[in-house]
Amino acid sequence: MEFLNVLLPMLFRGLKVTLLVSVTGIFFGFILGSISGYALQGKNRIARVAANVYVWIIRGTPLIVQALYVYYVVPVLLDMNLSSVAAGIIVISLNSGAFISEIVRGALQSVDFGQNEAGMSLGLTDRQIMLHLIMPPAFRIMLPSLFNQFIITVKDTAILSVIVVNEITKEIQNYAALSFKTIEAYTTGAIFYLVIISALIIIQKNIERKLV
Amino acid sequence: MIQVRNLSKKFGNLTVLKDITMNVDEGEVVCIIGPSGSGKSTFLRCINQLEKPDGGEVLYNGRNLLEKTADIRMLREELGMVFQNFNLFPLKTVLENITLAPVLTGKESGEEASKKAMRLLRKVGLEEKAGTYPKELSGGQKQRVAIARALAMEPKALLFDEPTSALDPELVGDVLEVIKSLAEEGMTMIVVTHEMSFAREVADRVIFMAGGAIVEEGNPGEIFTSPKEERTRVFLSRVLHV
Repeated sequence: MEFLNVLLPMLFRGLKVTLLVSVTGIFFGFILGSISGYALQGKNRIARVAANVYVWIIRGTPLIVQALYVYYVVPVLLDMNLSSVAAGIIVISLNSGAFISEIVRGALQSVDFGQNEAGMSLGLTDRQIMLHLIMPPAFRIMLPSLFNQFIITVKDTAILSVIVVNEITKEIQNYAALSFKTIEAYTTGAIFYLVIISALIIIQKNIERKLV
Repeated sequence: MIQVRNLSKKFGNLTVLKDITMNVDEGEVVCIIGPSGSGKSTFLRCINQLEKPDGGEVLYNGRNLLEKTADIRMLREELGMVFQNFNLFPLKTVLENITLAPVLTGKESGEEASKKAMRLLRKVGLEEKAGTYPKELSGGQKQRVAIARALAMEPKALLFDEPTSALDPELVGDVLEVIKSLAEEGMTMIVVTHEMSFAREVADRVIFMAGGAIVEEGNPGEIFTSPKEERTRVFLSRVLHV
C-alpha cells in the first residue's frame, strides 16, 4: 500500500481542482440556467427561441466535444489565450446551465398558477409576483434537482482531463503513466470518486428531508 | 359602481358567457347562484380581468376596463378577490401573507401594515395565528386569512369565488360569518356561492345564471320563493331539497 503515499496527495490535489471547477461552474451555470430557464417559460419570443437554441446545442453535443471546442477552437477564433482551468469552468458553466435551465423552467411552471392570480388580484406587478411569490417556492422545488445536477457535474469534470485540467482523473492518469501501476491507480481513483460522491449524496438526502 | 354590459367570453369555440348585463351599486351584496359550469366564476374573473372578456364592457366607476389605457393593476387594488382554493402564500406566515401587498405596492410601511394586519386578524378571529404558516391552518382558517389579506388593501369592493366550496361542512359557518359581518359594515360584494341559505339571508340581490347567461335576477325573496323562470325553479328545487 506504499503507493498511496504518492497517489493520495495527488488525488487530494486533483480534488481541489475538481471542486474549484465544479463549484464555480455550477455557480455560473445556475445564473445562466436561471436566465435561460426563465426565458424558456416566459412571454418574450426572441428570448425563448435563444434559450431553446442554447439548450438544444448543449444537449445535442457530447460534453467532451464541448470541452475540446472551448479549449482548442474558441481561443483561435477569438485570438486569445485561455488556460485549461478557465476553459474547464466555461464548459462546465455552459453545460450545467443548459440542464439547470430545464430544472428552472419546470420549477417555475410547477408553482400553482393560483399564486400568480392571488398576486394579480392584490394589485402586484408581474415583476413583484415573480420575485416574491413564484421564485421562492420554485427555488424550494428545484433544490434537490439542482444538487443532483451538482453531483453529475462533479463526475462530468473528469472529462476535462482531455484538455489537461489537473482534476482527479487527470491526476490518476498522471500517476498511472509515471508508475505503471495501472490497477492500483484506477482502482484507488474509482474508490476515491465513490467516497466523494457518497458524501454528496448523504448531504443531498439531508437537504431533501429538511424540505419535506 | 360596477357595470357590466353585453359581456361575452369564449374559451376556444366554447361560449362560456353570452351577453351578460348587470350593475352593482355601492354597498350592495350580490350573490350569484347557478349550476356548475354556468359561467359564474368566469364572470366574476372577467370583472377584475383575471380573464379577458371577448366582447362587451366592464365599467368601474364609469371607466371602461377593457380599454387599452385602463390601469388594471390599480383597479385590482380596489377590487379585492377571495378564491375557492385560498391561494395563500405557503412560505410566508399568516402575518406576512397579509402585509405583503400593502408594503410592496407602497401603500404602507412594514410597521403600519403589521398593525393593520393584526387588527384584521382579530376581526376574523385568528389573532393568535399571526406567526404560523398556512399549512398549519384548517381550510376555514385559511379562507379567513385570505379574506383578511384582501381587506388589507382596503378594497372598495370584494369578489368572492365560491369561498366555501373547498371547505369541510363544519368549517363553512365561520367563513360565512366573516362575510356576513362585512356585509353589515356596508362592503360592496359579489359572491359566487352554492350556499343558498347564506344568499337568501345576506344578499340584497340574487342572480341566477345558467348556460353562460343571466336567467333571472331579483331580491332573495323573489328568487327563492317565487322564481319566474322554469330553469330557476328546477335548479332551486334540486339544491334546496337534497
